[in-house]
Formats: sequence, C-alpha cells, structure tokens
Amino acid sequence: MARITTEVLVIGSGAGGAVTAARLAEAGRQVLVVEEGPWFDADEHEPFSLPEMVAKYRNGGAQVALGNPAVAFGEGRCVGGSTEVNSGLFHRLPDYLAEEWQHTYDIDDFSAQTLAFYAGQVEAELQVSTLPTAPPPSSAILEHGATKLGWRNVEFARVYRYDQAGRGVKQTMSRTLLPKALAAGAELIADCRVVKLLRPRADRGRVVGARCVRTHPDGGRETLDIQADQVVVCAGAIQTPALLQRSGIRHNIGRGLKLHPTVKIAARFPHPVDHGDVPMHRVTEFAPNLTIGGSASRKGQIAMALAEATHDIAEPLADWENISIYYAAIRSEGSGRVRAVPGLTSPLITYKLTEADMSRLAQGLVHLGEVLFAAGATELYPSLVGGPVARQLGDIGAWWDRSTRANTNLMTVHMTSTVRMGNDRSRTGTDSYGRVWDVANLHVNDGSLLPDAPGVNPQAAIMTIATRNTEHLLSNL
Amino acid sequence: MLRFEREVVTALGNALDQPTRGAVEAFVDGSLRALPEPVRAGVLGETVLLGAYVGWLRFAGRLATSEDLRHKLDAWETSRISYLRQYVHLFRSMVLFAENELAPA
Repeated sequence: MARITTEVLVIGSGAGGAVTAARLAEAGRQVLVVEEGPWFDADEHEPFSLPEMVAKYRNGGAQVALGNPAVAFGEGRCVGGSTEVNSGLFHRLPDYLAEEWQHTYDIDDFSAQTLAFYAGQVEAELQVSTLPTAPPPSSAILEHGATKLGWRNVEFARVYRYDQAGRGVKQTMSRTLLPKALAAGAELIADCRVVKLLRPRADRGRVVGARCVRTHPDGGRETLDIQADQVVVCAGAIQTPALLQRSGIRHNIGRGLKLHPTVKIAARFPHPVDHGDVPMHRVTEFAPNLTIGGSASRKGQIAMALAEATHDIAEPLADWENISIYYAAIRSEGSGRVRAVPGLTSPLITYKLTEADMSRLAQGLVHLGEVLFAAGATELYPSLVGGPVARQLGDIGAWWDRSTRANTNLMTVHMTSTVRMGNDRSRTGTDSYGRVWDVANLHVNDGSLLPDAPGVNPQAAIMTIATRNTEHLLSNL
Repeated sequence: MLRFEREVVTALGNALDQPTRGAVEAFVDGSLRALPEPVRAGVLGETVLLGAYVGWLRFAGRLATSEDLRHKLDAWETSRISYLRQYVHLFRSMVLFAENELAPA
C-alpha cells in the first residue's frame, strides 16, 4: 500500500473541487486533488457525442433516480467533472433565493450582496460572457417564439471565451482553474477513487485522510492511503453523500436530494437547425418554477427523442437536420435520497415527484409546445410514451391528459441538496460554510450544499458558494 | 449481456449492415456493464423473467420471429407496469443512440 501526505486533500475536480484547489493553492497551501475519472485533453471528444458519453460520463451517462416515474440523469466523471460535459450556462443564484435559504436554514454571511461579490470574482476569472454575434438558429427559435407570445426570454451568459467570429471555447475546469491550481503548486491524481475517509477509532471527531484505489494506465490497481490535515469533499450531490455514508457519517447526509425534472420535445422546422451547440436562450416567463430551454441535438439524441412519442421515426429522422430538441425544467416540490449500499460501488438513488410536480411538468410541456409553434415548428414530438405528435396548436391540449406518471419520460442533469448547509442542525449536514457537523476537519464544497434546487443551471451557485467557503476555510487554517 | 438481452437488441435494431449491428451490440453490452450495480441487478432480474416468459410463448407457438418480439416489446413499452416500460425504454434508447451515432454518415 502506497502512502502520501498532504495538508489539504480535495476529493473531486469539478466546479466545487477546482475552485477549492485553486484558491487554496494560490494562498500557498499544500493541496492534493484526487479525481475518480480519467484526465482527457479538453478537445479529445466531440461535445455530446457517443465517445464523449462513454469516456467522460459516470456509468456511460446511464444513471437513474428510481421512482414513478424514474428520472434519468448524467454526471461527469473525469478531470473537471461535469463542467467538461455540460452546456456551460452560467446563471447567478437569484437574490430572493439567497435570502430565502439564508432565513430557512440559518446560513451565516449568505446575503445577496455577499454572494454577488464572490460571483463577480468567478465570472471575471472564467470570462463569463454572452455571444458577440447573432444567436444560432436553434437559440433564435426560442427568442422568436417567446417574443411573438410576449413572454420574457433572455440569452444566458456562458463560461465561454469567444473570438471575433463568434467561435467559442468552453472554459471548463480542466482549461481554467485546475491549471491555475497546478501552477500554484497543487498536485492532481486522476483515476483515483476514494473508497472511504479515514477516521481514528479513538477520535471520531476528525478525519486523518482517505483510502483510495488508484488505477494505473496498464489497468493495474493499487491501494493508496492519503494522510491530510484537512479534507474537502467535492464529489457532487450523488457521490459526496455516498462517500460520507461509507465513512460512517450519516447525520442529514443523502436525504433531501433535489433535481430539476425535465420533459422534452423534438421540434421539426421547415428549415435546417444547427446541431453543434446547445441553445443559449431561455424562456423565463414562468421562472423560477418553470424554465424553457434547448438541449444537445445530435442525430442520436433526436432519434431517442422522436421514439418517445412514436415508433414511426424513419420519416422524421430522415429530416433530422431540421429537428432540434427543447426542454421544460421545473423546480420540484418532491425530493429524493442517496443511499450507499454496502459492497456496491454505486449508491441507490430514489426520487419522489409530487402531484404538483406532475402538473407543473404537464404545464411545462404545453408552454414549450406553444413557444415552438409560435417559432414556426411544424411537428412536435413530446417525451410522452405514445405522444401524440402535435402538428398544430390545437393538438397539444391532448398532452394534459397524456402527462401521467405512466407516460412521462423524465431526465435531468442538475442534482443538489444532499448535504445541506446552515446552522440549523436538525435540517443540515454541515455548518454555514460546509464543515461537516461533529467532524472538525472535514468539509463539503459542492452542489450537495445548496439547500434547494435553484431553478437554473447550478454551476454558478456552486462555484460562488465554493469560493466563499474556501475563503472562510483559509481564514481558519 | 444475456441471450435475451441480445435478442431484444436485435429486435429493436434497424441497422442494415452487419458492422453497424455488431457495433451497436457491443455498445449496448458496454453500457449494460457500466450501469450502476443496483440498476444492473434490476435489469438482470427483468431479463431473466421476461426471457422465461418469451421462452414459454415460443414453446406455446405464440411468438416465432424477431418481428413478433418487436411487437411484444412495443406493447410492453405502454404497459401499466413501470419497470416493464422502463426496461424497453432503456434498450430502445441505447439501440437508437448507438445506431445513429455509430452508423457511417
């Protein structure tokens, strides 16, 4: 068994882990980052392609929260985490949510002004920006449809660096903060899975490091014990609670999983639609409880989306270049749970949607249909088993009755809230800054901390809170 | 991948050429192996039960061809039993995604 010693061990290299590592390393701390997944060149895989799914997603992108209906989801498992595979949308946590969470969970120093200060830092560092040119057709569709209906819509900023021609490069963690951390002296070990945290029997109130299994390029594996003064877990809202539970830490850990259940429509237009990027416009008329946007729309994804509504997909699929996929995502009243299962690598994940959630999803599907028809769509294929396919506005009324638990296919990419933060110990797993209750030198710093789903892509909220928490940690080291 | 799972992939497939069919089967096999253990265990359990049921249908002369199996799968996808629907949905999604991403342009 190999042994390594460091001052701060950061587990996970995504939005939370990269921020934590960069801030600590730049402050002169000795930092070691371990990442379960491999390290790829950022340009090695075509975005949203099959090779990318196989290489960069956990479980090949086929994860599911069990329930009725089940919710399919995906998360990154590579250096940079989900920032390597997401759409890069960057949306600050709405002020009213910050205030609501601060009061509900008694979170210190969580005012809108405080968060705005840290969000500004992150935005400047990642060059968060909007398009310098006109939006691509897939995005303009949402803008035109919403404008025609008089609905609010906006181009969301993204973590993209654009050149003058409008070509963008996503500022993933492997392109930005991780290189900064390494330049400041941090070390990173990829292909290294943390099995459990090490806690002395005589003192359960602290951790002394982590036991890992490292996979070498030749496939060989070795056990690696990493001794650390401080441990920061940033493995995401699914893996972080699973790791804490495997390590015997269970107080309010893994309960209250929140996500954005999402329904989709494959929309056919009388003109070609671009497929190389994800639309950056969002319809915010019904936000925060309902947001309408666009998804990755490669041919494979379009085939899957069409098949949810009908088995006769040959004719529309032949016209796939005129088809793009759009979604309606809701803030859910329901919640779920992550449970580590002894002997298994993957946790058991469950999620319960309420009747209000189902109603909101049906509403979302209908509003999405309205905006797509307003934008000129000629056929809409909803993510309802058996559809029906809508060819005119009057057809979408049938979706209300068809949007049952039995017929609705759901997915999500945003998972949060499994280790909530705040001073109210009865409802949280950590204090106001991510320190795990009753374990003095163990911290969480990722999407698990968010008390609820934010209703928008959570990357901005995760990075903002991670920056704030790391500053606090630094002031106490 | 169990024999019945391979039959399901064949029944749901639309690829005409053998190399693409082989690549799709290999992708589905890899995807099933990569599933989270609790999910893979559930899928395996369903495969055994459904494989036995289809075997009985064959024995009784009520299901003969891959096309018959496809019709059966189509019916299961609208079943009231959630796990039956999700079983077919999982396989159909994997097959369609692979066929359309792996097939030569």
